[in-house]
Amino acid sequence: MSALSEQPGLYFVVATILPMVSFLLLILTAFLRHAARACDSPLCNTLYRVLGGGRPGRTAAYVATTAIALSFVCSLVGAIHFASHGQDHHRIEELKEEAHHLESEFAHRPVEEHPKIEKELQTVNAEIHRLESKWVGRIEWANPAGPYGTKKDARASILYVGYRIDNLTVVMFLMVTLIATLIHIFSIGYMSEELAEEVEDHQVHTADGHLKRRGRFGRFFLFLSLFCFSMLNLVLADNLFQVFVSWELVGICSYLLIGFNYERQSASNAANKAFITNRVGDAGFVIGLLIIWTYIGTFNFEEIFKTIRAPLTDSHGVRPLRTKIDGEYVPLGARIVRANLVVEDGEKKLVPSQTGDQAVLFSPKVHLHVEDADPGDETDESKWYLKSFYPDFDSTDSMPYWLLVAAGLGIFVGCVGKSAQFPLHVWLPDAMEGPTPVSALIHAATMVAAGVYLVARAFPLFTAEALIVIAYVGGITLFVAATIAIVQTDIKKVLAYSTVSQLGYMMLALGVGGWVAGIFHLITHAFFKALLFLCSGSVIFGCHHEQEMTKMGGLFPKMKITALTMLVGVLTIAGTPLFSGWYSKDMIVAQSLGYVRLHPEHFLLFLLPVVTAGITTFYMFRMWLMTFTGKPRDKHVFEHAKESPATMTIPLIVLAVFSICVAWGWPLHDPEASHLNKVIHHGQPHHVLADFGGLAELGELEHAPGLVFKHVERSERYWALKLHGLAELSAFVAAGIGVIFAFLLYYQSRQTGKTRLDPEEAREQFPGVYALFANKWYFDELYSALLVRPALRVSQWCKAFDLRGIDGVINGSGRCTVTLSRWSGWVDRYIVDGLVNLIASVSYGVGSWLRRVQTGYIRSYVLFLVLAAIGVFAILSYFLAMAAAG
Amino acid sequence: MQYDLLIMSLVIFIPALFALVLMMPWFFPKGWEELMRWWALLGTAVTMVLSIVMFIHYYQSVYQIDSNPDDKSTSLLSKRLADVEKRELNHEAPLGNDWVARIPWIERFNIQYYVGVDGISMPLILLTTVISFLAMLASWNIENQVRGYCILFLLLETGMLGTFMALDFFLFYIFWEVMLLPMYFLIGIWGGPNREYAAIKFFLYTLLGSVFILIAILGFYFTDVRDFVDQRRVEQLVEQIAKSKHLTVREAEQQATINTFDIILLHRVGEAASNVIKNKSEHIDIPGIRAAGSDQEKLEAVSKRLTDQPFFQKWFQITMFLLLLVGFAIKVPVFPFHTWLPDAHVEAPTPISMILAGILLKMGGYGILRIAYPICPWAAEYLAGLVVALGIISIVYGAFAAMAQTDFKKLVAYSSISHMGYVILGIGVWQVTTGTQYWSWGMNGAMYQMIAHGISSAGMFFLVGVIYDRAHHRNLDNFRGLYEPMPLYSGMSALIFFAALGLPGLCGFVGEFMVVLAALNYSITIAVLAALTVVITAAYILWTLQRVYLGHNPAYADYPDMNLREILCIVPLAVLAVVFGVMPNLLLSWMSPSVTGLVETLAQLSK
Repeated sequence: MSALSEQPGLYFVVATILPMVSFLLLILTAFLRHAARACDSPLCNTLYRVLGGGRPGRTAAYVATTAIALSFVCSLVGAIHFASHGQDHHRIEELKEEAHHLESEFAHRPVEEHPKIEKELQTVNAEIHRLESKWVGRIEWANPAGPYGTKKDARASILYVGYRIDNLTVVMFLMVTLIATLIHIFSIGYMSEELAEEVEDHQVHTADGHLKRRGRFGRFFLFLSLFCFSMLNLVLADNLFQVFVSWELVGICSYLLIGFNYERQSASNAANKAFITNRVGDAGFVIGLLIIWTYIGTFNFEEIFKTIRAPLTDSHGVRPLRTKIDGEYVPLGARIVRANLVVEDGEKKLVPSQTGDQAVLFSPKVHLHVEDADPGDETDESKWYLKSFYPDFDSTDSMPYWLLVAAGLGIFVGCVGKSAQFPLHVWLPDAMEGPTPVSALIHAATMVAAGVYLVARAFPLFTAEALIVIAYVGGITLFVAATIAIVQTDIKKVLAYSTVSQLGYMMLALGVGGWVAGIFHLITHAFFKALLFLCSGSVIFGCHHEQEMTKMGGLFPKMKITALTMLVGVLTIAGTPLFSGWYSKDMIVAQSLGYVRLHPEHFLLFLLPVVTAGITTFYMFRMWLMTFTGKPRDKHVFEHAKESPATMTIPLIVLAVFSICVAWGWPLHDPEASHLNKVIHHGQPHHVLADFGGLAELGELEHAPGLVFKHVERSERYWALKLHGLAELSAFVAAGIGVIFAFLLYYQSRQTGKTRLDPEEAREQFPGVYALFANKWYFDELYSALLVRPALRVSQWCKAFDLRGIDGVINGSGRCTVTLSRWSGWVDRYIVDGLVNLIASVSYGVGSWLRRVQTGYIRSYVLFLVLAAIGVFAILSYFLAMAAAG
Repeated sequence: MQYDLLIMSLVIFIPALFALVLMMPWFFPKGWEELMRWWALLGTAVTMVLSIVMFIHYYQSVYQIDSNPDDKSTSLLSKRLADVEKRELNHEAPLGNDWVARIPWIERFNIQYYVGVDGISMPLILLTTVISFLAMLASWNIENQVRGYCILFLLLETGMLGTFMALDFFLFYIFWEVMLLPMYFLIGIWGGPNREYAAIKFFLYTLLGSVFILIAILGFYFTDVRDFVDQRRVEQLVEQIAKSKHLTVREAEQQATINTFDIILLHRVGEAASNVIKNKSEHIDIPGIRAAGSDQEKLEAVSKRLTDQPFFQKWFQITMFLLLLVGFAIKVPVFPFHTWLPDAHVEAPTPISMILAGILLKMGGYGILRIAYPICPWAAEYLAGLVVALGIISIVYGAFAAMAQTDFKKLVAYSSISHMGYVILGIGVWQVTTGTQYWSWGMNGAMYQMIAHGISSAGMFFLVGVIYDRAHHRNLDNFRGLYEPMPLYSGMSALIFFAALGLPGLCGFVGEFMVVLAALNYSITIAVLAALTVVITAAYILWTLQRVYLGHNPAYADYPDMNLREILCIVPLAVLAVVFGVMPNLLLSWMSPSVTGLVETLAQLSK
């Protein structure tokens, strides 16, 4: 407890670990239960029965729900502590000033007083450290130098895991734990069918009817707990590495839960698709990580930002950084500084330039000293503020600028995968195969928002080039997904595409500098989209797992709570004034308008969200009208439809209330007054302002009065605020048109079942467009042709190369050896042995011929003797004659 | 007797002793097969316990007695060995806790029984004893010729442990070959239908590798290393020659040569060779030069020996390095020397596949780390590109080839090739201009990957074996739907397969990630390729999981889940996979000082 009061950041750590505890408890019991089932002994049988036996119990749900509810409580307590930490912040500032003062004392005071100052300085620094470490902490995770390593401060030498609590973390924690708790409660009702010993899966057909399987109630909550841990760990992390780890873990939870009904081929396909598509994104993420690791040497967010962004002031903490780039004085504070590497007299030097191919790296060790430069300007009084701000980059490091861009884009590719952005959005609609609470929690409110969260968290890492890519990806996504949503008939698919589209809004906002707007929308969207999904779940549950809207209709009287809460969700997403979605969506539109005002060539970034605002209201109202109003389209479904139990409707009501008023403030109509907005605004990294807001908010006024107006005029944020009304109006008009068309096309009269305009006719008028939308812009086909099939073909090539190529050589050489040895066998037998045998047979032949000489007659022996003597004599005399002659 | 010598020898030879007892028909008469299995299991268990005891004592003596925590040198074999040498020459009793021990064996050829452990071999030894124990536990299904099986199995274990501990080339080579023969018979007799082809292929491939290694060993042996040993030994030798041949000291001096099989001594020679080739003779600090002092004549003789011997020339270094590299690469196996692996795996019985994938493949990586790199550092640096290329090709090629397989075991075999590619990549990324930390991540990652792969691949092969015992086929297209009848089995499979997939929180991730962290510092292209391969890996593993466990299949609806023996077999692997995935420092803390020490030593040479 004392640790918690000393370091209240640990409340969030506890909140993260609680679901893990639940997961471990559940998985250990599951393991023991199955192990006991496998062994046949009385003891094991008893154990098996004690642990629940064959029939799933509700205990798992209670354990998991308690854990996540406690998590919420912890986050709440932590948040309350955090809210009061503003004073700490103030105190830290004071202490830092004091420390600075003490340091300067050294020069003024006599030497004998130095130890005393030293001591004071130490106490002050200890206090600063204590206050600062209240909300941060980290431990070593992997250290290849070992505990005896001496390279502790070297870059890229240790991987840490840790936490850092700021406004963004707190807001995310509260959102995730609250929504997760509600969804856990909802799931107890929704998943109750899984409590049966035998469940019939109507979507899987076997030879004798439908598939019958054991209930999986416990397993669902097991996975949910693991997910909650991973998601909270993702938000908690103070470094990219830990984010990546959690990133993969939420991915695997998503995989497991999408494939919850794994007997269905569609479910297991969707699970694979989700994970593999995400892995494509993750490959990009890894590349980003590697660039950062190699060139910046740390994964810690703060350290990365401090390295790639210029500090606000020079090392003395007094003068803001400003330098002359290409003849113009430019503020550097909190910006990425580009430079050219120039070799002068054998020494490398960094010369700042707008188009430099190097990015300056600001190590805290490098002393940035501002010198009085440009004395020539002294004559011009109006430029007095320029003359003294010239940092010297000679001793700083740098990295190739394009790699910094690539690092940002790499991380963003990861976010594209996770947040289902174009072109990796294809997995999310398929992921609707998972049970509806999963869709609500993972595929709407939390996990898919992680991509947006990470872009916001890593915002200072993105260069201007990366940000414009982010904006366009968001813009394209929000439009494409919305167009597909128009033609979907599955209630969950509509919501899935709507989620993709809304995530696109958030990305767009971040890309055009609307950091606050993006996160704001993330939070409000989490509430209303969780609400919408749970409502759809309630509808599906009430209609006995019917998801097709073409079989619904007229359900309003049967399920009033669901219908009304869902209407709240629809109104919120449509941007009805004073509902939470209105504040955040308008803020995004305003932000993009502000951006387009300064960069008219990017007008699409304003056009797309406005048009899509209309499309959004159209398809959302279409969904609601098709489900709840008009004449029932399917009698069977209608007759059996019923309202869901209280465990399900209570979460709906709570979420509806949050959807309406989570963004409220006073006065109600002012989005800037919203409390949530303010909290997020305080959490905004100042780098956003440096990139998009001009410097007016950076306390630069007293240093550069002449520049203020000019810079603010040039800032996107200025125009976003100024044009807010116009943006609001255009979004409102677009939404209005959407509503009107939705009613014309889909509001049936209850008796006749007729609408004012016939959707069929509309469809027939634009067959090409309809086919494009209905086939989801042919992305699946494209990927199958361009990626999946080529990959399979390559793998077949590899297999064939192994069998025919390498093994061909191996077996061939084997055969050669065998053939060679046959030859050598032949040679052995017929040549070598042949020769030996030949000699043998020749001598035998000669011998047998000579045998005939042995006649036994004395006279023939005498004849031979004489002949031999003559022969010997002849030879001898020949040799003797030769010798005599020689 | 020295404690460390005793316990190291026991760990090596206990399996062989148990095998010896098994050979005696009067201890285990025919028909007592069950008892033979238990006996063999006991043998592996005793070895495992002893190796753990050894580890604990190693840990204590190398780390905790060390008074100066900044001194990492005790984790380096070479440092400990220098002390051993000094004690020998001073006729002091050897220490019992320095974990290097040697006694002369065949003095005529300067061959020693010479063993030692450090942070590189220790984890592999533990892996060997644990996997062997589990593999023996998985051997209960072996029905025919149980006695022969157990004997060969235990001999194999001795061979493997000996290889990891031997520091004398001759001893090393003997153990290396001892490992090969039992494996040949284990595949050839107890294997599947095509076992003879597989066994011969395995044998010939590996024998080819061994021959390469043997050539290299002989090449090293014929180098005169007299300037690298304590000069008192040279003096003794000179005296001896002078006495026996009636020569003057000066003449004897010229005739004295010392040849060695000492691996650690050859490390020092290799370092000097790198400096000689790079013309950095001022960095060479060896006893020969120190002893010569300012004696110009002696110095000249030394430098003549340093420049004229082939060992100190480029072509020799490159040739030897290539011989060693190919020899070990066959074992790893690395593309294009890998095709024995799928066949051997498919035909080998389950426990032998576990050993093969879990331990035998690590011999290659170990050999490269312990022998090829330190002895031929110059060539290793010169050919770093080749090593890296082999690594990345194996990673990509193995992953693609795995995706195309329809035989479950073949798929796992190809995944091994892909995963072992990370080991080679991690070792190869020799780029230290911006500091040694990146290569150190790579090397440590390679070691970590070896351990992780040992755990996950042994687990995967075991799991394939479990289902093969029930279904009697391994065709991936004919499975489906095992999750419902066998939840425990499928859960464990998911865990182990996810570990292989490189899911964070499981062991496979750590090694892979560490290696990849080092890769970009070497080459952006390589890093990008390695990063993109994770997609293929995910694809083939998830596709496999889908084809085997998901869906439903009435044909398998009544399969029993794992039994107690099978559970006992897989649970330790699952636990290890999680523990090493969550707490890498548990292993790194005592492994990395040795590995990083090696990196530092080698990096010193390229400065």
